[in-house]
Amino acid sequence: MATVTTATPAPTRREPGQRAVRTVAPRVDIFETDKAYVLVADMPGVGPDGLDVEAERDTLVIRGRVDPPATRPDYQEFELADYFRTFSLTQDLDIDGINATLRDGVLRVEIPKLPQVQPKKILVRTE
Amino acid sequence: MDTRSMWDPWQEMKRLQREMEQVFADGSPSWRWPLTGEYPPMNIARGEQGIALEALCPGVDRASLEITVVGDSVTLRGERKPEPNVPEERYHRRERPLGPFTRTVRFGEDLDPDRTQASYTRGILRVQLARAPEAEPKKILIQS
Repeated sequence: MATVTTATPAPTRREPGQRAVRTVAPRVDIFETDKAYVLVADMPGVGPDGLDVEAERDTLVIRGRVDPPATRPDYQEFELADYFRTFSLTQDLDIDGINATLRDGVLRVEIPKLPQVQPKKILVRTE
Repeated sequence: MDTRSMWDPWQEMKRLQREMEQVFADGSPSWRWPLTGEYPPMNIARGEQGIALEALCPGVDRASLEITVVGDSVTLRGERKPEPNVPEERYHRRERPLGPFTRTVRFGEDLDPDRTQASYTRGILRVQLARAPEAEPKKILIQS
């Protein structure tokens, strides 16, 4: 059966000479339709130029970069961080057919199932 | 946090600092927001020009997004809607908080609703609030 499973998040990235950049794993929903797996990830602060979605054989990697804030707020409940998360894909998914869209800080990745694992409708003929 | 009561920045900041240290130290796969139990989480900057509020709320249905300014308070309303027509049993993982939200913040100084500006980009709602004319800080000229 086709599955998409999550892997452990990356450690916090700290580059020398730069401010400490935190990296967090985005929260995701994963659901299945007859034809595809759909992964929905919250990545607020990420624009199209800061987004990377890569699939190689059995791994899907999503990365998002955010711009550092111009000023420090007086009162702070959230701090934007870069995003990183990997997912394991099984062989019965069509990685060449992956389609990703980003809208209002939400990434949606659709990973089609290969035709042989999609449910087939059998036409029943009556005589 | 009870944002309906008066806002005490110093008390809040100290408490949040403690809370953030705890949250970021536990190595959980995602940071747990809303940190305060209220949604959406906000950052606030006060300046001479007014008050800048940022709320982290990705994927909000734009038609549901509403900002109201009354007196010294601002209310944000919106809804994060689930994917339509996906039955529960088709989900393999559900981590994203969904549903309608309402949050009110009081600033302790009157605001001017007519000079409020807002934008929603990359999942961040930015509201620029102007103080009501009588609440604007006034420079006092010192006469020798």
